[in-house]
Amino acid sequence: MNTIVLTVVLPLLAAFVVPVLCRVSPLLGRLLGPLTLAYAILLTLQVWLGMEGKPFSIALGGFQPPLGINFYVDRLSLLFTFLTLVTSLLLWPWRNETEPRQYALTLLLAASACGLALSGDLFNIYVFYELISVASFGLAAGAAFAASLRYLILSGLGSVLVLCGIAIVYLQTGTLNLAQLSQLAPETLNTPLGMSAFALILLGVGVKGELFPVNSWVPEVYAAASSRVSGLLAGLVSKLAVLVIVRLLVLLFQQESALQLMLILGLLGAISGELAAWRAKDMNRMLAFSSIGQLGVIFIAFSIPGETGLFAGLALSLHHLLVKPALFLLAERWRGSLMGLRGAGLASPVAGGMFVLLALSLVGMPPLPGFWAKFLLFTGLAAQQSVIYQVALGVVLLSIVIEANYLFRVVMNLFQPAGDNSVAVITDHGWLNLGTTFLLSALLIAGMLFMGPLGAWLEGVAIQAADPVLYFDTVFPVSAIH
Amino acid sequence: MMPIEIGAVLYVGAIGLVVIGIAGIVLSHHLFRIILALVIAEAGANLLLVLSGFRWDAIAPIITGGGATQTMVDPVPQAMVLTSIVIGVGVQALALSLTLRAYGAYKTLDIRELQRRMSADLAGEAGTPLPQSLEEPVGGRPLPAAEGDGR
Amino acid sequence: MTPLDELLLFSGLTLVLLLLLGRFSYAGKIATVFYAGQLLFLAKMADRIADGAIMTFSLQAELFGQQMSWRYDALSWFFAVITLGAGLLSSWYASGEWGERFRRRGGNLWLLHVALAANVFSMLILLGSGDLLALFIGWELVSWASFLLMTVAGGRAIQAAMRYITYAMSGAMAILAGIVLLWSHAGGLQYGQIIDVMPQLSQAQVWLLVALFGAGFAVKMGLLPFHLWQAAAYAETPGPGAAFFGAISARMGLYAIILVLVQLIGLARLSELTIPFTFLDMRDFWAWIAVLTIILPTYTALRQTDARYLLAWHGIGQGGYMLLGVVLGDALGSAGGLLHVFNYATNQAVLFFAVFAVMFRTGTADLNKLGGLITRMPISFFAMLVGIIGLAGLPPMNGFVSKWFVYRSLMVEGEPLLFLGAIIGTLGTILSVYKLIHNTFLGQLRVEHVEVREAPWSMVVPMIILMLLIFATGVAPGLVLDWVALVQSAVGLPVVENTLGGIELASGSLDMLWVVGVLFAGFGIGALLFYSGGRTRQVHQLDNYAGGHFLTAETRYHYSDNFYAGLMHLIRPWYRGSFVWLESTLGSLLGIAASLMQRLYGALHPSIYLLVTVVVTLTWVLL
Repeated sequence: MNTIVLTVVLPLLAAFVVPVLCRVSPLLGRLLGPLTLAYAILLTLQVWLGMEGKPFSIALGGFQPPLGINFYVDRLSLLFTFLTLVTSLLLWPWRNETEPRQYALTLLLAASACGLALSGDLFNIYVFYELISVASFGLAAGAAFAASLRYLILSGLGSVLVLCGIAIVYLQTGTLNLAQLSQLAPETLNTPLGMSAFALILLGVGVKGELFPVNSWVPEVYAAASSRVSGLLAGLVSKLAVLVIVRLLVLLFQQESALQLMLILGLLGAISGELAAWRAKDMNRMLAFSSIGQLGVIFIAFSIPGETGLFAGLALSLHHLLVKPALFLLAERWRGSLMGLRGAGLASPVAGGMFVLLALSLVGMPPLPGFWAKFLLFTGLAAQQSVIYQVALGVVLLSIVIEANYLFRVVMNLFQPAGDNSVAVITDHGWLNLGTTFLLSALLIAGMLFMGPLGAWLEGVAIQAADPVLYFDTVFPVSAIH
Repeated sequence: MMPIEIGAVLYVGAIGLVVIGIAGIVLSHHLFRIILALVIAEAGANLLLVLSGFRWDAIAPIITGGGATQTMVDPVPQAMVLTSIVIGVGVQALALSLTLRAYGAYKTLDIRELQRRMSADLAGEAGTPLPQSLEEPVGGRPLPAAEGDGR
Repeated sequence: MTPLDELLLFSGLTLVLLLLLGRFSYAGKIATVFYAGQLLFLAKMADRIADGAIMTFSLQAELFGQQMSWRYDALSWFFAVITLGAGLLSSWYASGEWGERFRRRGGNLWLLHVALAANVFSMLILLGSGDLLALFIGWELVSWASFLLMTVAGGRAIQAAMRYITYAMSGAMAILAGIVLLWSHAGGLQYGQIIDVMPQLSQAQVWLLVALFGAGFAVKMGLLPFHLWQAAAYAETPGPGAAFFGAISARMGLYAIILVLVQLIGLARLSELTIPFTFLDMRDFWAWIAVLTIILPTYTALRQTDARYLLAWHGIGQGGYMLLGVVLGDALGSAGGLLHVFNYATNQAVLFFAVFAVMFRTGTADLNKLGGLITRMPISFFAMLVGIIGLAGLPPMNGFVSKWFVYRSLMVEGEPLLFLGAIIGTLGTILSVYKLIHNTFLGQLRVEHVEVREAPWSMVVPMIILMLLIFATGVAPGLVLDWVALVQSAVGLPVVENTLGGIELASGSLDMLWVVGVLFAGFGIGALLFYSGGRTRQVHQLDNYAGGHFLTAETRYHYSDNFYAGLMHLIRPWYRGSFVWLESTLGSLLGIAASLMQRLYGALHPSIYLLVTVVVTLTWVLL
């Protein structure tokens, strides 16, 4: 069971070995990364089967919490570890034979993301979060260093805020262990000072999570970076940031105003993202703004109290994780002005068909999975008493209408015969991109066919994650007197 | 009395450093100054962390052989700060290298200029060039008709 | 396997088959045969449904605690028979030379067949909804299938389709909001649960629900003020697609309105809700929306110069009669409304078929470029004549019966203003369809159309079938009224008692058999007198003189442009384009908001926003 730690250790080791190995034998260097990730996936599955659904805690180095750092492994962390590894493998930058840098950075990203999902200590989360930042700066700086400057500055500022927030938490409670914090939180953190700590941490971590208003780095970085990097950032890193916030909300900041703050920011993000996407004139920027909008909706989902919120948010996150990287992969060949894409769908009908499928799922046409995720969100929102949740419902519905409009504007453009004044369309998507997109689309359809069991399982994950008492009892098995 | 006043001053100082840093980032338009402001803000945050575990009548948390019996300050925030300083240094180094690359490409460190040229480059690459105002009017300047031309 | 299973499976099979085989030239004929097959399956259910049974679908799904089920009752069956009839005839129309020429001119015939099959399949699914979630799923499927069919032609159709999908998604989101609100009150989405919880809801809550559901369904049906998308979208769809749309597609909105507003919420509850600051209640409000929908689009149809647009605008108007009848809620009125769904479908289909037959032979549907085709295309002329008589509501065609019911009901219920509105609408109808037939078939034949022949048999036979159907149901409306009565009893409206020829009530009766008999007797006597007089002589149209000159074929004496000049002179100031202005204002507002957001994200100093947010948040938190 302790082998789950290897999912952090092995990719980290491989990240440092790969550049060296590439000098010795390029072939081995190219293969080391994917092999490590595949092995880590196997380990995760093994732990999953051995876990039998019950969470457990690993004390790292033998030092017991609360002074020692522990890894908390429940279904949610394991799910995100698995998703991290699989996404990194799917979006592996195969083409960069001469640049082992990308391999190393991707492995670093995978390792630190697994650590972030598994960690049970607040500062440990911060450290892994900074590792993810560094890795993503490196990945984003590959093509677009000027855009990543703004990302770096905003992210640095965000880290400062997170540190201040952690300082306040430590000041109030005297501990950094999440389980102990969850016990102390109701008395110590339910104050304005605790709320300010949450606000600081939310804004700081929200830089990665594309939260309004710290998401202005998103359009530039996604527009300039390569599609795989954008897919990783949009699909994976943003979800991990959301995961951190959700864990903190469940365990530490259980007050209602915290949820409402997140709701308002999510609402603003959703509407501003979709409206800006409507005006976008090139594909990557449109997808970037769409990503901002979708993450705003995910924040709205997580701001519903209780397991309904977690369930809806998880469903939406999973759906976005499937759809966005697929869209970015298609956009790799379809970069550039939307007007210049006339006839591209006719030239490569498979890619065009997949784009339509993904767009329909994003918009929420039943019976595709996107509809069910949104349905969970809407039923959750409608069941709340407070007016602001009803307002959020209206805003999300409006954003769906806008999204349908601009996505299908692109689809219409794709399937119209190319006129004389359109830019020469690059039709060759490359079998790798097309194959990966096809795999993701097939997963989407499989999700639709097995929606029942999938939904029940996801609900189980949400119920387990929403329980702070279970968390405490797992980390400190004998009812502790701390 | 004294420790509380000093404590208040120190807290104000730490938060002040963070505010100075944020103000610097927001108000400067020279890239290097922005990075320096970030450094100052990080320093402020680290100071805040140390303060959160500080005790006025305690000594440094180092065991000097022979079992210490005096109260020590809380070592956990100090460990955190060490890690955070190191992370900060790494990020700053990365920032500086990116700055060098930006200077190499655009020959300027003014972020307004950088932003303008970068978005023009991005838009140009994407095939949606931004509307630019021209340096000169298009076409030739109309000259007065020569004498011999019939009206 | 229940009959419903067989029907839906067969319909799905049709879709799959066309996906695979649609590229071949015989695909149209296969499709026609399969639609006939679906109609047979539907007919198999007829006896059981007539006894009041409900056919259920064997697949029941349960997801996230919501049960979804599908079933057919009399209401579903009624709409389904119209859907399948329209699909069958449209596919027949497209299967022969029309399809060939469409393909040769570069049109995507495969997509047309697939889209038509998808539309029929999704409509059959929608009509079988057993709870609100299944209704929404069917609704979305129908919306997207319609979108697919609209995009077949390309070019101008794309803009119309984009406008459509924006309206359709807005409507669908309104419906979803209503469904979710209902779920939060009722705890589930089964029809029984909702009917049970209705009495417990406050007036404000029911008002909101009626507004949301009503807006959503009104978009599909093309009721004011959500009607702007329909004309261009239906007119630009190629031939059989337009006929199918015109006949039945918009009526899905009516199906949903009957289901939700009449069956679930109930007309009685509707009349309890009041519109603030007016003396109207919700039921009057809907009746007025219906009447305004009858009047305004019909007079817009008057001004159209493209025959397809004229018919499409017309179609929007006729929906108002159906809604008016249903909202009136008494036996005769609701019977008239429901009957009009059937009648209108047949009339609109035959008119579209005739217009597209003319377009097939002459290459244009522009009313200013046609004329005198009665001598060259007599069957199409006769089809169009039957269609416009039916649409205008004159005996002996079926349109007369449904409109008569609605008028009578309006008078009996004591609604003089609504009655006046309906009459004005009928006036507009008669004027606009007369323009259609005059400009196309009557008057002077153009030189370039002298060689035009009648449309090919594959296009003429569906027209003949429809003509016979219109006439038969006009003479013996009791055939359809039996089904309408079943629908009324399934929905909970008062049932009309009908005979074969019409109705027989204490306060009066209508017997079409007698009416038609008298009419034809009159025609017969007139014809007898005319033809036995022996003093007639056939004269060529141009064997005449005017203004001291003999007529020539090159000069155009046919009055077609600016057809109702006198009327337009009177009412032109009333055409203000208010709805278009409203739509463009909303669009501009959204556009301005979007530009603002774009500038927000392109701003130089995002850190300022971060700073402001941090300060505001901390202030809010600490104070």
